[in-house]
Amino acid sequence: MLATDLRDLQALLRRKRIMFCYCGYVTDAVLTGVGEALKQKMAIDEADTKTMRSVFAVFVEQMQNIMRYSAEREPPDEVDDEATREALHHGLRYGVIAIGHDGGVFFVDAGNLVLKHDVERLRAWLERIRASDKASLKALYREQLRAPREEAARGAGVGLIDIALRASKPIEFDFTEVSQQHAFFSLRAEI
Amino acid sequence: MEKLEISATARSPEISFDVERRHLTIKGESYPEDATGFYSKPLKMLDKVLKGLGTSSFCFDIKLVYFNSSSAKAIMTMLERLDEAAGKGAAVTIRWFYDAEDDFMRELGEEFCEDLEHADFHLEVLKG
Repeated sequence: MLATDLRDLQALLRRKRIMFCYCGYVTDAVLTGVGEALKQKMAIDEADTKTMRSVFAVFVEQMQNIMRYSAEREPPDEVDDEATREALHHGLRYGVIAIGHDGGVFFVDAGNLVLKHDVERLRAWLERIRASDKASLKALYREQLRAPREEAARGAGVGLIDIALRASKPIEFDFTEVSQQHAFFSLRAEI
Repeated sequence: MEKLEISATARSPEISFDVERRHLTIKGESYPEDATGFYSKPLKMLDKVLKGLGTSSFCFDIKLVYFNSSSAKAIMTMLERLDEAAGKGAAVTIRWFYDAEDDFMRELGEEFCEDLEHADFHLEVLKG
């Protein structure tokens, strides 16, 4: 039944302490809109300016990472998942983002498809970031800003460091295979 | 074309570039859709001014309460160009303002100035 289905979905999100959840094509308009709503909600709930800004910052970087990671190198016809093929054809990036608050800690989780081809490189970069302390992260941040590597040139390099700097503990990430060419990548930052 | 004035939007900062007074101010929040595109005009103008600067003075005020990673690159580029000009004899002052309630921005300021060798860099608290 429609009402119970939606109510169940809402209840699931509430159980997971999720305040905002967006699952769909991530466009700049979505970033702007959800960002505004997030700002307003946090202004009501959260007195600490620094925390508010950090949650917002992580949200922006997570959204922009979803938008940047594309399978553009693959001609759409060779992609074996129909929904992905359709999305790529329209130049749209699909992803999921969940922002929540649990026991005094905010979390911003994001997930999107990536090419399996990119997984090892991404995993290595993330491992390095996760293993770095704040001082090392700051040095890495500066290094990336001044002399960009391939990922940084596409924007992802500095963005991930930015997320890690804002987070109050090491970032968590995961990959799961979804098709022949694609894996689903997810990243959690807690603030 | 002695002044460049770009009004702030929900996602981009106000840019105020007074070429005659050699004073550039960036104020607000910066997470535009296309940071490279947004900062290209101010950067082009900055390069033009720095070319003929000689030993004159230049002041760059950064009053950003938030900027994303793409904007960070643009800002770093501007600081590098200014530091280069300072190395050639210009009297460059950079003021990085931060909200007293947000020491993350202060820490970022400390990071951004770490590699500056010639320019005069000051961390200041945003008032009001």
